[in-house]
Amino acid sequence: MRTTKKGKFFLYLILTLGALLILFPMYITITTTFKTPAESAVSFFTLPKSLYLGNYATVLQDEKLYYAYGNTILITVVSLLGEMLILPPMGFALSRGMKQNRFFKGLYFFFLLGIFLPWQVRMMPVVKLMGWLGLLSPLGITLLYIAHATCESMFLYVGYLATVSDSIEEAAYIDGASTFQIYTRVILPLMTPILSTVLIREGLAIWNDFQMPLITLNRSSKLWTLTIYLNNFQSELSVDYNLSFACLMLTCLPIVIFYIIMQKQIMGGLTSGAVKG
Amino acid sequence: MSAQKSKKKTHSAMTRERITTYGLFCLPGFIAYCVFLIFPILMGIYYSFMDWNGISKGYNFIGFANYAKLLTDKKFGAALLFNFRYTIMLIVGVVVISVVLALLLNKEFKGRSFFRTLYFLPAVLSMITVSLVFKQVFFYVLPAIGKALGIEALSTNILASKQNAIYGVLFVHLWQGVALPTLLFLAGLQTIPTELYEAAAIDGANGWQQFKHITVAYLIPTLSVVLVLLVKQGLMVFDYVKSMTAGGPGTATQTIALLIYNNGFERNRYSYSIAQAIATGVIIALISAIQIQASNRKKVD
Repeated sequence: MRTTKKGKFFLYLILTLGALLILFPMYITITTTFKTPAESAVSFFTLPKSLYLGNYATVLQDEKLYYAYGNTILITVVSLLGEMLILPPMGFALSRGMKQNRFFKGLYFFFLLGIFLPWQVRMMPVVKLMGWLGLLSPLGITLLYIAHATCESMFLYVGYLATVSDSIEEAAYIDGASTFQIYTRVILPLMTPILSTVLIREGLAIWNDFQMPLITLNRSSKLWTLTIYLNNFQSELSVDYNLSFACLMLTCLPIVIFYIIMQKQIMGGLTSGAVKG
Repeated sequence: MSAQKSKKKTHSAMTRERITTYGLFCLPGFIAYCVFLIFPILMGIYYSFMDWNGISKGYNFIGFANYAKLLTDKKFGAALLFNFRYTIMLIVGVVVISVVLALLLNKEFKGRSFFRTLYFLPAVLSMITVSLVFKQVFFYVLPAIGKALGIEALSTNILASKQNAIYGVLFVHLWQGVALPTLLFLAGLQTIPTELYEAAAIDGANGWQQFKHITVAYLIPTLSVVLVLLVKQGLMVFDYVKSMTAGGPGTATQTIALLIYNNGFERNRYSYSIAQAIATGVIIALISAIQIQASNRKKVD
């Protein structure tokens, strides 16, 4: 559609105001990290006089930051590996099995149940259960993420595979391939787009998650994830906002860099997942 | 004849091989789902009929007493009311802002991809990061602006005000929460064939009529997805209130999720908090069922 000159002026006006609203807290965050406490007491809004690195140096000396990074990376990587190993074959089996066998249809609806049950309903029992099993650890809660994904990610796979014609696999069956071979050689390569969608969605969700680590890993600072570290850092040191902002920067930097490099895939992954889910 | 028979035989053997492999493929996920999803829910239902505090060795069966207590619990009612109020404002805010942004970002102009990148950035940050940045902004930065400009409403911390704390939380939620719906609506807009607008213009439809009859009609499927997302977010909001207000000042921003968390983990009212969670779960499941029903009916029309 063509836009008039006046229309264009308002377009830029509104979008620029919105952009300022988004950039303002980021500007405050970044500039404050380079200021001394005395400097930010004078004004939050001016640019820092010099690049004071003391805030970063202080936060970087905190060993809890490294534990938090280690745990977050471990949890995200192991959960994603587990999900990629278990769920795509299950999506394939359900999508194809449903057509041939009533048992798989029933199984599909059994998994569907999980989507309607809010997380809060099982939040407290899960902590007890994990305690009994001795799994209240970063590695232990990866099992919870994997179990949680059996509903949501699985439906993305089944939905996607419904659009993939089974003529290639039928031809492969006639050539004598086993179902396992068909999965690894035919189906898995065809699933690449949906796999990357799920990886991005799940990766961001697990990396940024707060509730699950809060109820399972808050006991010892050696178990904290980045979100727990951030939350506890600020409640302990709420007076020193320079340090707080430096801590915020150091914990969200990887995500921002990841976003800048992969923005197309991330936008695509998050939206296609949401529409189908 | 015999050739046909043997063909049938291999066919059924093949099917058995398929079914077995399918079953094996489902097994690990099935176990994980039963152990970590279904079993905790059954545990929860069991404990909701007890009077357990979560720590003591013994507990007693008390039937529906926990559920009966819910009906007269003022805190639970207040939290539920807060969540409904919050959800309605969230829905109105997100839908209006994200539709307007999507319409603007759908036009062709210089710098469009820059704006798209920037507007979507909040969606990849963790809610905790965003909350904590704004907590500091509300605490130190906005009052400084308010004082400098002489605006009374801005010169105190909005999160410390009993009446206005909800708007502070809501503002942060909108700041981050409009990103994904904007992108979804943008994708919805791109499915509209431009010929439709051209044809409507030839028929003499003005801009508003075109928007009402073409754009809105094409955005309804996206809208129903966005509504489901927002209802879930609004009724279960936790991260923002936990990290910005902790439910305060007083109980001004006490949400259901926070109440359940506090009762279960901090006040040792284990059984009762599970009953609260189950009751809320039923309410949410009912609302989503109605929503899905309604959007299916829309599709048929």
